[in-house]
Amino acid sequence: MEIQSSKPNEASNLSWTEVSAQKTREKRRNWAGMIGLFVLAALFPMMPGVEGWMASEATLIIMYIMAAQGVSILTGYTGLVTVGHGGFLAVGAYASALATKYFGTDLITAIIVGAAAAAFVGCALGFVFLRLSGAFMAIGTLGFAFFIGTIVNNVPIFEGREGISLPDNHVLGFGIEDIGFFYVALLALAGTTLFIYALVHSAIGRAFMSLRDSEKAAEASGVNRIFYRTLAFTLSAAVTGVAGVLFAHYVNYVSSEVFGDIWYSVDFLVATVVGGSAVLLGPFVGGLFVAFLPTLIEFFVDQPGDLAFIIKGGALILVLMVAPAGAVEGVTRLFSRLFTGRKEGSNE
Amino acid sequence: MSSHLRCENVTVSFGGVIACNRITLDVSEGKIVGLIGPNGAGKTTLFNVLSRFQDYEEGHVYVRGQPVDDKKAHEMITNGMARTFQNINLFSEQTTLQNILIGAHHRIGDPFSNMLWLPNSRRNERELVNNAVEIATMLNLDMELDTIVKNLPYGFQKRIELARALAAKPEIILLDEPVAGCNDEETAELKSTIQQINRDLGVTVLLVEHDMSMVMSVCDYLYVINFGANLAEGTPVEIKSNPDVIKAYLGEEDE
Repeated sequence: MEIQSSKPNEASNLSWTEVSAQKTREKRRNWAGMIGLFVLAALFPMMPGVEGWMASEATLIIMYIMAAQGVSILTGYTGLVTVGHGGFLAVGAYASALATKYFGTDLITAIIVGAAAAAFVGCALGFVFLRLSGAFMAIGTLGFAFFIGTIVNNVPIFEGREGISLPDNHVLGFGIEDIGFFYVALLALAGTTLFIYALVHSAIGRAFMSLRDSEKAAEASGVNRIFYRTLAFTLSAAVTGVAGVLFAHYVNYVSSEVFGDIWYSVDFLVATVVGGSAVLLGPFVGGLFVAFLPTLIEFFVDQPGDLAFIIKGGALILVLMVAPAGAVEGVTRLFSRLFTGRKEGSNE
Repeated sequence: MSSHLRCENVTVSFGGVIACNRITLDVSEGKIVGLIGPNGAGKTTLFNVLSRFQDYEEGHVYVRGQPVDDKKAHEMITNGMARTFQNINLFSEQTTLQNILIGAHHRIGDPFSNMLWLPNSRRNERELVNNAVEIATMLNLDMELDTIVKNLPYGFQKRIELARALAAKPEIILLDEPVAGCNDEETAELKSTIQQINRDLGVTVLLVEHDMSMVMSVCDYLYVINFGANLAEGTPVEIKSNPDVIKAYLGEEDE
């Protein structure tokens, strides 16, 4: 059989072996970059001129990144916009806080408990929202965040606005301070990053993305919509739940005033979208932006007020206009255009 | 020849409109069977019934004699059935390779060991990739494996959809207008590809198509439906001279 076809573009005139070799090199480079980033972060507390509050700030940034990673599984890879991940943050935080208060668990166990609790709630919510998508999903998840806020405010065991105070943190019997906590958080972040990488580069991630791009075609290919949607919800909730555990144990305190606040949900979504929801590095950029912005503003403005919100909103609009796939994708495209002089991707 | 896919007395109605009225058809093993009919005859609805995307009020669908009435769309692939769509339905933001790999989804094994990259899953994954590359080579897509599919021309996208269906290693494949919108050159390519799939891979083919010359030259057997009901069936030669069919297509007068 002879099939003669004109090639659609000159640039891709490479055989599959060449392309896959190129991809392997690219992958190595990306991994080197990622490992470099983590090493740099690990060295951060030891750098000269770094004070204690900076390490705390860094821990806060790590939590935001992790929470945004959770959102990216659901919104970026599975295509379900969520404005309710603050709810999962609270579930992780409260579950681990209760475990620590009543059973004296150490931080590692607390992380597992928080992740499991959030995963369970995520799974249940996935079932409840099985038929929602698009704007309806956004509203539904927003409702979930309010729901969790109301629960922790009113059910006695969560101690409402009084809050639950937690003892000092310990890991495997050793007490840890700010710096130690920073390293635990960094390790956890390395864990979630590795997990998400493995997830989205496996057949499971492929199934998630196929549901995002065309549910009908995915089902025709044998993707069980109910199973994979619920799985995405579960895993996404678990990752954000871990961020919640870190949050609770970092400040040694949980209260409905903090976790009943739906602004977290919005912040995480903004972080994911601004950074790039379907890129591994996206939540890093977005989380850094959202978490560090208020501190940055305080450097320059005495009375910042709601300035951070305005800038976040502006950034969101800007990114959606200029690079809908997120800042990371936008910058990558800009660079590849500058250096190779040809268009990669092709919206234009 | 034994029956591969069979439906009996299938009836579907949307509100007051009866899209399929007691339609019966039988696809023999190893054949290329065509389903034709004027616009709005109910061909696509019947296709959706056969691939279980559409529920029906009456009738039964059998694959190799086994009823599949209570199967869901995503379970049909485990009965050896893959399908394509009338309007291209690809994962447009993903590469050709990723698109083809989705087709092999039911062969991934246990989802959780995939998620954790366990060794047997990685081995299986490599095998799926190799198989996808083979299929792409067969359909002359191997140069575009790493291209985002929305950037590819129409004819390529049609072939990618076919490749995705083939990646499932189906025993029967349902093609909904495989050459719609293609130029003559692309049509000729796809025609020979369909024949190759049938002959070399032994896959039974059921296709819906409006391009009569293509249908007549490629199909072993034809079913004609009109206004949601069976009108005629037979070999292409028989159908060509069937007065009912000519009437349905051309109106009252013979040509």
